[in-house]
Amino acid sequence: MSDIAKDKAARLLKKRGSVSSLSSHEVRAKEILGKNKDSMSTVSYVDEPGHDIPRLAVQLENTYQLGPAKRFPVVTVNNILKDVLTNYLQEEKYEAELCRQMTKTISEVIKARVKDLMIPRYKIIVIVHIGQLNEQSMRIGSRCIWDPASDTFSSYAFKNTSLFALANVYAVYFE
Amino acid sequence: MDEFQSGEETSFVVEEVSNIMKEAIESAIGGNAYQHSKVNQWTTSVVEQTLSQLTKLGKPFKYIVTCVIMQKNGAGLHTASSCFWDNTSDGNCTVRWENKTMYCIVSAFGLAI
Repeated sequence: MSDIAKDKAARLLKKRGSVSSLSSHEVRAKEILGKNKDSMSTVSYVDEPGHDIPRLAVQLENTYQLGPAKRFPVVTVNNILKDVLTNYLQEEKYEAELCRQMTKTISEVIKARVKDLMIPRYKIIVIVHIGQLNEQSMRIGSRCIWDPASDTFSSYAFKNTSLFALANVYAVYFE
Repeated sequence: MDEFQSGEETSFVVEEVSNIMKEAIESAIGGNAYQHSKVNQWTTSVVEQTLSQLTKLGKPFKYIVTCVIMQKNGAGLHTASSCFWDNTSDGNCTVRWENKTMYCIVSAFGLAI
């Protein structure tokens, strides 16, 4: 059945995917839950946080800072995203194996370049989607609950003849 | 001197969050077929419902929820994410849902304040 095969492929993908990060955490895909007659869902997550290194809860001292010392430079990051996506994907055609590696590589590269900007006290989330252009329709949306005075995001969409790529960077201030 | 020690361990609980997301997806698009005119409304409602339920948990977290709805047409899609955060307190959870006409992928990231 194609559903089971897809699930296996997704699990393999998740397992292989964790190796590329510095501290490789096992990504677990739970079994198929809630199988309705006409819909199916699966859940996947990174290994339970806090269970690998048991340490006492760190109580941080007050910083007495009201806001971030240095704000997140959205324009610079926009340029980084444009740069990385165009360099990596300008000439590429959509191929399953290539794009699988490409998404992981690109997200690591973007994260490294944003970290190089050395913005203190910001946590970074980079999400990259690469898909095939096939006359299908799709909608990607996101909402965030955060402090709009200090947190922000940056986004860039790239398209060539056979694929499209979307990169989102969310920067959240750690108070 | 204020020694505020919260009773429970505040970390990202995947179980709760994934249930919230599944409920939100089911109520927004469960049983519907892909319709281009409605998809904007659907993504918005999935994400906003998830967020409002997450805030009701009352944990000291900032949340980012992403939703992708794609028509089933034989096309491939790859998604990857890289996060620079504190592994002990922050976490993420992704729910992939599909029916006969479309795929829906919802990811929630929770960052401790």
